[in-house]
Amino acid sequence: MSRPIGPGRLAYLHIRLGVQQELQYRANFWVQVVNSAIALGVGIVAIAVVYLHTDSLAGWSPDELVTVLGVHLMVGGFLRAFVFPNMYKLMSDVEEGTLDYTLTRPADSQLLVSVREVELWSLIDVVSGAGVLVWAVSRLGDQVGVIHYLAFLVALICGSVILYCLWIVAATLAFKVVRVDNVMQMLSGIYDAGRWPVGVYPFWLRGGLTYLVPLAFAITVPAETISGRIDWPWLLVAVGFTVVAFVVARLVWLWGIRNYSGASA
Amino acid sequence: MTTENRFSLVRYYAAGARTGFQRDLQYRMATFMVLVGFLIEPVVYLSVWSAVARAQGGMVGGFDEGQLAAYYVVWTLVRVYNTAFDPKAWEWRIRQGRINTFLSQPVHMFHRDFSFFMGSKIAWTILWIPIAVVLTLVFRPSIEWHVVNVAAFAIAIWGGYAVRFLVLYVMGMINFWTTRGAAMFGIVSALELIFSGRLVPLQLLPDWAESISTWLPFRWTFQFPIEVLIGRLDTTQIAAGIGYQAAWAAGLGLLFTVVWRRAIRRYEAVGN
Amino acid sequence: MDDPVIAEGLTKTFKVPVRQAGLRESVKSLFRRQFRYVEAVKEVGFRIPAGEIVGFLGPNGAGKTTTIKMLTGLLHPTSGDARVLGYQPWKRDKDLLRRIALVMGQRNNLQWDLPAADSFLLNKAIYGVPDGVFRERLDDYVDRLEVGALLDKPVRNLSLGERMKMEIIAAMLHGPEVVFLDEPTIGLDVTMQRRLRQFVLDQNKEEGVTVLLTSHYMADVSALAERVIVINQGSLLYDGALTGLSNRFSSHKTIRVEASDLPADLDGLGRVVDRNSAQATLEVERDRVSEVASKLLSAATVTDLSIEDPPLEEVIDRVFSGR
Repeated sequence: MSRPIGPGRLAYLHIRLGVQQELQYRANFWVQVVNSAIALGVGIVAIAVVYLHTDSLAGWSPDELVTVLGVHLMVGGFLRAFVFPNMYKLMSDVEEGTLDYTLTRPADSQLLVSVREVELWSLIDVVSGAGVLVWAVSRLGDQVGVIHYLAFLVALICGSVILYCLWIVAATLAFKVVRVDNVMQMLSGIYDAGRWPVGVYPFWLRGGLTYLVPLAFAITVPAETISGRIDWPWLLVAVGFTVVAFVVARLVWLWGIRNYSGASA
Repeated sequence: MTTENRFSLVRYYAAGARTGFQRDLQYRMATFMVLVGFLIEPVVYLSVWSAVARAQGGMVGGFDEGQLAAYYVVWTLVRVYNTAFDPKAWEWRIRQGRINTFLSQPVHMFHRDFSFFMGSKIAWTILWIPIAVVLTLVFRPSIEWHVVNVAAFAIAIWGGYAVRFLVLYVMGMINFWTTRGAAMFGIVSALELIFSGRLVPLQLLPDWAESISTWLPFRWTFQFPIEVLIGRLDTTQIAAGIGYQAAWAAGLGLLFTVVWRRAIRRYEAVGN
Repeated sequence: MDDPVIAEGLTKTFKVPVRQAGLRESVKSLFRRQFRYVEAVKEVGFRIPAGEIVGFLGPNGAGKTTTIKMLTGLLHPTSGDARVLGYQPWKRDKDLLRRIALVMGQRNNLQWDLPAADSFLLNKAIYGVPDGVFRERLDDYVDRLEVGALLDKPVRNLSLGERMKMEIIAAMLHGPEVVFLDEPTIGLDVTMQRRLRQFVLDQNKEEGVTVLLTSHYMADVSALAERVIVINQGSLLYDGALTGLSNRFSSHKTIRVEASDLPADLDGLGRVVDRNSAQATLEVERDRVSEVASKLLSAATVTDLSIEDPPLEEVIDRVFSGR
């Protein structure tokens, strides 16, 4: 009897298949390049205009703010490439009752619904974001050392995982409330708030942007870290919150499956 | 039979507007969600510029925090009046054959869409009122209320709609020649974001950028109506602004008739 | 007054880009676009007098819809001319558009999310139908098509057949003189098809509406049209009475004979389509019909003998696959 395939390999195979499919649509590559360039341009212009009038925005210097833009673009690219396509597919599967097929496969259902789809060309945003980050960090010079790079990686991964958990919880709740594409669009809109550090927002908004739609963990904390300022307590909370988020997402997913009535309802 | 029929453009507009109004009122929840979604942008921008103002002692570019709040709260209503026919939607229309029905009717498609959106906006305005109340309580905007401003705003907001509608409509015509118009729309949107006053009041841009914005149509669709209502313009400036709106509407209208004729000729040559 | 619909030598040629598979071909096509010409309609001409119902028959892609599009101003012919009520349709004169109606597919004249009644009001405004006339006509049509209870239901909640009825009402509310119906009964069940056909027939008889109808369904055409125009591969193959269709295209007739003592070998008389102990059906060449009939009558004790045209569907089928 053969050993069942491990989750890592399963994910890799699915993603590779998705990438191969996407490579066929070459026109979309250029569309995405143009869109990325526009997003980058507008982001830089906005920062430039802000710093026409001030030297420091909620304690952030211009180059530090550019790191926020860089992280925002990178994480946004990751979301659009790996998370959103899967969440939309999940919701349409629920609406059309075709989730049964996936649920009967001999692999973890949550893993499957999370890796089936890939929007390859959105990764261009990850590249442009990374490029912007490199440029900003080079200008920050001595502030940033090896420890910052390491902490940044930790913070970035935690933040991205937390966002993934948020989205899968939202999509799973769609099992019950079918007209949820509005909510998905709203969440994606709220993501735009992450272009600026969370400290900019009024206090009553900051809480929501930290624990409800955790843009603070996903974007502000990694940006802070890579611009040479590590807030150790926050970093620890981030790691802890990631674990909590992962567990909560898993529980919500299992609850969702149990309550899923399927096509035969 | 048909000889007894008498067409009236005014009655048509009433019927078209009523259709748009009913349609959007039918889907209240969805419309409301869209309106709430509209709030994200201005809240983000307001937070940023208020932070800047606070760092600079309470004022930035001639705006204090109350005036910034006023700008971005009125922003939400002007945003509603800015929505018009998405240039990307033409591709769908052409492919689905809807164009065939509209072309075989004796009313120009422009009137159909324009009147429909007019009615739609009235429905949206009604749904916007509770949102406005909440925004006012939370952000405490400071507005100088004058009857003249309110009256002028009522004109400016529709003028802004007319200009933006035409900009998008003319852009949409590109779909009669190619399906790859999306890149162009993206660039125009980015320009609009910056030069309309949507991202930031134009007075806060460098001078050369502010001058450019006077020569583009976007300012007159967005920032101008906002400024009229919050009381930052004197009567001469208001009159001049409405003049700019009229000029853009007339110019774009003319451009549209030329482009439309070509677009239809092309459509009739190649079909779907 | 001249005929309301006139077509002369209508031709429509499309330039279609040729796309080939493979990387090298895609690169090549970046530099030199290759085209081929598709003749969708070739020199089609006819005249339709007022008050006539004409059926256009033809398989998919035959050019029927393209011809209708040229007559309704949606396409500009490559060459040739057409006049509808005296106007060239592609000029899209408002005065012409006010006097015609087009039903092409469904979901066109109606607002999807609103009750049909609202779409009717919009159409009323599009054509400027006076209030009294509108009321009367609407009540009449709603009555005939029995859709009174459905007027306030959003169109998206109606069945396909109900929607089609509303489409037709919407199209006729302004009292058009010439009506173009493109595949109006497609996807409908038999009862619905019959109701719609009756409605069209009534409009034709009572109001003298000229109707151009395209359809796949023989039943549509045979129920409504006395005259058919057959179009295949862009060319007009036949223009005349429905009854003459088989004469024109079919070289055979069908002879059915009932007799219990038919000779074993009938192959010499014609193609045996069907046979059992009590009867036989033969496909016989036209010019041999009387010969075969008399042979049968003398060779067996015939209780019944009939000579028929082959079913129209078969004729059409053969025309489209053969020619």
